[in-house]
Amino acid sequence: MLEYWNAGGKIIGQSLVTEYLGGEPNLERGETMVGASIKIIMIIGILLLPMKSLSAETVRLRYIQSVYFDEKGGGMKQPEGIACSERGLLIVGDTGNDRLLRYSYQDRSLKAGTEIRVQQLSNPIRLQINSKGEIFALDGKKRRIIRMNPDGTFIGYVDGEGIPSPSTFVPRSFKIDANNNIHILDIFSARVLILDPEGKYLKQVLFPKEFGFFSDLSVDTRGNLLLIDCIKAMVFSASKDATSFSPLTKSLRDYLNFSTSLTTDNKGMTYLVDENGGGIVILGRDGTYLGRQLSMGWNEGLLYYPSQMAINEKGEVFIADRGNSRVQIFNLIR
Amino acid sequence: MKINVKTLFLLSVVISFLIVSLAYAQQSKFKLKPDAGGKLCLSCHDNFKEKLKNQFVHTPVKSGECSECHNPHAASHGKLLDEDANKICSKCHERIVPKSPKSVHQVVMEGNCVKCHDPHASNNKSVLLKAGNELCFECHKNMGNAIAKAKFKHNPVEKGCTSCHDPHASDKAKNLLKNDLVALCISCHKPDRPNFVKQHMDYPVVKADCSSCHDSHGSNKAGILYDNVHQPVANKVCTQCHEPPSSSATFKTKRSGFELCRGCHSKMMNETFSKNRVHWPIVDKVGCLNCHEPHASKGKNLLLGDTKSLCGKCHPDTMEHQVKLAEKEKQEKAATKGRPIKGALTHHPIQEGECSACHLPHASDSTYLMNKPSFIESCGACHDWSKHTTHPMGAKVADSRNKNITMDCMSCHRSHGTGYRYLIPFPNVTDLCVQCHKQYKR
Repeated sequence: MLEYWNAGGKIIGQSLVTEYLGGEPNLERGETMVGASIKIIMIIGILLLPMKSLSAETVRLRYIQSVYFDEKGGGMKQPEGIACSERGLLIVGDTGNDRLLRYSYQDRSLKAGTEIRVQQLSNPIRLQINSKGEIFALDGKKRRIIRMNPDGTFIGYVDGEGIPSPSTFVPRSFKIDANNNIHILDIFSARVLILDPEGKYLKQVLFPKEFGFFSDLSVDTRGNLLLIDCIKAMVFSASKDATSFSPLTKSLRDYLNFSTSLTTDNKGMTYLVDENGGGIVILGRDGTYLGRQLSMGWNEGLLYYPSQMAINEKGEVFIADRGNSRVQIFNLIR
Repeated sequence: MKINVKTLFLLSVVISFLIVSLAYAQQSKFKLKPDAGGKLCLSCHDNFKEKLKNQFVHTPVKSGECSECHNPHAASHGKLLDEDANKICSKCHERIVPKSPKSVHQVVMEGNCVKCHDPHASNNKSVLLKAGNELCFECHKNMGNAIAKAKFKHNPVEKGCTSCHDPHASDKAKNLLKNDLVALCISCHKPDRPNFVKQHMDYPVVKADCSSCHDSHGSNKAGILYDNVHQPVANKVCTQCHEPPSSSATFKTKRSGFELCRGCHSKMMNETFSKNRVHWPIVDKVGCLNCHEPHASKGKNLLLGDTKSLCGKCHPDTMEHQVKLAEKEKQEKAATKGRPIKGALTHHPIQEGECSACHLPHASDSTYLMNKPSFIESCGACHDWSKHTTHPMGAKVADSRNKNITMDCMSCHRSHGTGYRYLIPFPNVTDLCVQCHKQYKR
């Protein structure tokens, strides 16, 4: 871009910047004005460059608070699932107590903690909420996904109507995207099943040929699918319309012990929950390693065998801190 | 073709010149007197005279070209070698490893040729230190013992390991095999013979993997099947799991993953699925075969290997951590010069790969697939802490750091080790205690 300009700011060719700005170079009187604009843009660009590059490395989690109890003072027991909505709804899978807990979290104020017990659900290990406020939970014992109304009443099972052979599927995890489509990590048939909001089959993407074990999946804001291979410590991705997965990262073993959960934020960054290492590994949209946050321990702000993590649009992070029998809330600082 | 006499003469002159100059080059390297070569060396190293009487003598030694490998004046390498001891052989024997090998013998990779060969002379072919399998079993002791004990021997093994293996490298197969395993097997065992076909129940096994059932080094089962054989294989009822041999998808299993095994092992499967937590690989595409062999195995319960390598296959982080701890233990032990150090740095069952001492491999009602409902019970199976005074523990003793947690062994220890003695997460006990007993914090 710069080679179009000489040292005096005179136009010696059609600049990409003017093309981008939609301006035609005025060779008679506007040349110095355009030159000045370009200079300003360049200076701003140069000034912003280090800030931008620094920002990529300074994503961190700031501890806000921990949640230990339901509204009646009953303690959580090894919670593994967690989901949040943009409306401030926070659902916790209180796995050890075979129940869900429903909180509202707005302006850093946590309310309620109402117990939801559904006869059809035990051992909730993964949770999601769709845009209608419906709650989805993966039952770790029966390995089935159940669908509930926003008030927690049972609607039905997500059985994947119209799934191509083999019809058997074993969900290890699942995610719901912005369009309410349901993405299921089917480890039995080594594929990701994509169902419409009603649970009818839309398409499937097969796992790559070489992999260790996929423990979780995520869908980013662009509809790209991400898988975490907990054995190889690698993330695989498939773009929205792709029919296969390819590695997004090399082995992250140097930064990651054993990751069993991943999630993405609205900026496209990926967060890997390191279960055995008690930490969160952050990746850029292109899979670049950006850093590791938190560490193992019992004190507030530390994690002990964490399970699922959820992020909302405000950058509020909720982590099911299983080993510490609590949920921890953090803020994402960029 | 008509060759000019003049051209022929010129060509012979050039060739003669090359031969003479090549022979002279070595001598002129050190400006040795004519015929001085080996003879000169032997005038001092006369113990080599006996060595040279061996049946097989390394070519440069035989031709008295000691300076091919040694510098008679000075060298940067031991034994006045002209080059690093691990590289010198490859100067002449560079093609010992093919360009794209599928497997290379570790000693060859390391350039440790003298592990097998005498660089001067020996009474064994290829100047080997020992003859036949005896040399191989120097390192592969376990294999040697297993072969010696095997009731049913495999004839080529008796003849020598090199019947099937290339001792240096193979560009065709893993495990230094001279050819692809099946190709190697059928070079002796003709698959079209009626008896072969009958023994394999009409299945076209040349498309399969012989080592899935047979132990090529010999075993205690007829047909050199591995010592532990899956019942349907022993009963020769392959169709119990596979499509019949006449099918277009001969080896295809009748069902996928755990669903196939559930047909016979329904009790075990039902027990597994009745638990709160299942070991996820059981329900993936590979299912039970993640850990078990479907046909036959050396290990008990048809396991694919010992638990250390089996569990470590999927949990490398845990195993790597154990290796680091063991190394630290070794270093600390060396630093104390034999004085005993209090407190363990490593946990014995994990170091030994006895993961099942604490965890259940299939399913459990407890987190981390523990074999007992609580850590107190799990740890108590080996540690008799409950027989004497302990820190208050149990379901009624809340952890002062977190009311949702009760005190158990894991409140202070981490069973897989932390890098600190007593498997605690702090460098010393005081640091640990003051986490709760804050009044004593300095």
